[in-house]
Amino acid sequence: MPERTVSIASSVGLHARPASLFSQAAAKAGVPVTLTTKAGKSVNAASILGILSLGIGHGEEVTLSADGDGADAALDSLVELLSTDLDKE
Amino acid sequence: MADAALTSLLAEDSIRLDAVASDRFDAVRQCGAALVAAGAVDESYVDAMIQRENTVSTFVGEGVAIPHGTLAGKESVKRDALVVLRFPDGVDWDGNAVSVCVGIAAAGGGHIALLSQLAEILLDPDKAEQLRNATSAEQVYTLLTPDEDDD
Repeated sequence: MPERTVSIASSVGLHARPASLFSQAAAKAGVPVTLTTKAGKSVNAASILGILSLGIGHGEEVTLSADGDGADAALDSLVELLSTDLDKE
Repeated sequence: MADAALTSLLAEDSIRLDAVASDRFDAVRQCGAALVAAGAVDESYVDAMIQRENTVSTFVGEGVAIPHGTLAGKESVKRDALVVLRFPDGVDWDGNAVSVCVGIAAAGGGHIALLSQLAEILLDPDKAEQLRNATSAEQVYTLLTPDEDDD
């Protein structure tokens, strides 16, 4: 299964606004995407509550994985999103 | 865990169980007013909350939204606090129905831990439903208290 590891660029971590933008993008990815923390907790990347419950801080590494048609392209664009500071106003 | 308990940040008179809002911005303003009334933030934080809501919806699913300010609004936070406003008639939140708003004031990094605790609770569909249907402040407190034991 294709997967990518990326560290969270948003200075405030993956919470409200960045988490919301990320989960919306994951929901539109066309394939189910799973986000796993270094501690091994996995959630559906399209679930904002799932993402928020992980309390992921700035610089923390997460792994995204997906399977199916277009999984690689979907992961690439989501990784790009997480590599950007999404909390810039 | 050293995280502050959600309930320690929620004053009893910051729980409103029968609020009515004309739209989501009205609901956000009411959450802001409740935070101002609790002495947690300056008036300017309310504008920061509206600004945040304008940029991206704070709807998180399960009929719940979590209005809070932008990073720029943090200077107007005097102390971390929560308010819970229940809208029994629901509020249209950009196409989603919201019946509970948890307004958040957080000055530092406490934000992430708070949201994480809250999300853990809402991920349990039973608890989320009980919160939507809460009729007393006591019920809200019970729901926001982390499970200490396994029953």
